[in-house]
Amino acid sequence: MPTTRTWLQAGGGTVAAALIVAAVVQAMNSSATWVSNDPVGECGKTSGGEVVAAQNVLSAATGLKPVDGSWDSESEVATKAFQAYNGLPVNGCVDTSTWVTMRALAISVCDPEYSCQGPDHRIRYAAPGGSREAYFAENDCDWGSYVQPGLARSPVASNKVIALSRDAVTEIECGG
Amino acid sequence: MADVVTTIDEPRIRPEWLLGGAVTLLGAIIIIVVTLVIGAGEDEPAVVPADATELTAGTCAEDLRQPHWVPDAVRRAVAECPADISAGIGRTTAEDHLGTWITYTLPGADNVETFRGGPGLAWPEEEVRSGAYHPASAITFVAYPGSAELSDELSGDNVTVETQDLKESGQDVRVTRVDNNGFGPVRLEWTDDAGSYVLLGTIGRTPTGNAGPTVAELIRIADSVAAEDE
Repeated sequence: MPTTRTWLQAGGGTVAAALIVAAVVQAMNSSATWVSNDPVGECGKTSGGEVVAAQNVLSAATGLKPVDGSWDSESEVATKAFQAYNGLPVNGCVDTSTWVTMRALAISVCDPEYSCQGPDHRIRYAAPGGSREAYFAENDCDWGSYVQPGLARSPVASNKVIALSRDAVTEIECGG
Repeated sequence: MADVVTTIDEPRIRPEWLLGGAVTLLGAIIIIVVTLVIGAGEDEPAVVPADATELTAGTCAEDLRQPHWVPDAVRRAVAECPADISAGIGRTTAEDHLGTWITYTLPGADNVETFRGGPGLAWPEEEVRSGAYHPASAITFVAYPGSAELSDELSGDNVTVETQDLKESGQDVRVTRVDNNGFGPVRLEWTDDAGSYVLLGTIGRTPTGNAGPTVAELIRIADSVAAEDE
């Protein structure tokens, strides 16, 4: 007959194991959040955090303005231009292949082993007279878009980290 | 004794000689002028840097471990150092953990940005589909001095990841390729005793050919970084 102490040890071990599994799953989801998003565009979502993320990349890649989290014909043309240049099927839909291609362009701003505060990934395109840039933040629970002033339009606020996987345009919050 | 009278004719300049000389002189002047005019329209002879590090001379990146070779056509590099990066993101993080970026811009018609205004209906659909509207091509090198790790490995149906040996330096480099029918981004990442590095280029599709670097060129660039120690 197991003693109370044995039960407590077993229970504690189970809880610890569950916490470890949860942490691993969370970390895997965090890494995968960018490459397994919902489709964006006429084929999928037309508003929300994923639209902000796609528009943020497109602003750097094609000069799309503004970034407002609302899909429109300009966003679709920009997507088609991005897809054509990158060898993707040209359909105006930010599908998984397009997400992956966008993700590959994002370079860590900080040492890979260091956890930056705020925006920690950057997409940079050389442009006549300067550059076009988009920033992102890989938080514990989600990726976020960091839209620069001059590009953001309401409801997207500039210099805030907008959660990528939320249906609405909201600032990122982990653990909430 | 009879006097001898010698008559010396003054040399006469014949009119046809004058005409021929004038024509010759005029021809010579025309040739000289045309040559000067054509010569003035030509660019200065391109100076190929003996070592790619010369492209960052005088910048904050000049002492950074960086590529010694880039494609011959590259004539310009833009260096961005931690202070620049930090300012761009609102100084939200410590500068000593930020990487230093060097962007090499590629010349040539296929590598030039072709946007005319923002994306929209003014961009004809057929031209958009052909890749006629594209950004400028560049190669991005980022160094993280003191770092010993690589970024998270990417995955996806159109992603291939492989490790390659660099012939000259003996380093292993992780080559991540988003292969969209032969086009798309290519990332090379590796570490050495001084830090970790990322090299990014996009093989772009344009109506007339390819834009951007080749994979072989990116690998050669990566291999040249360690040449600093030689």
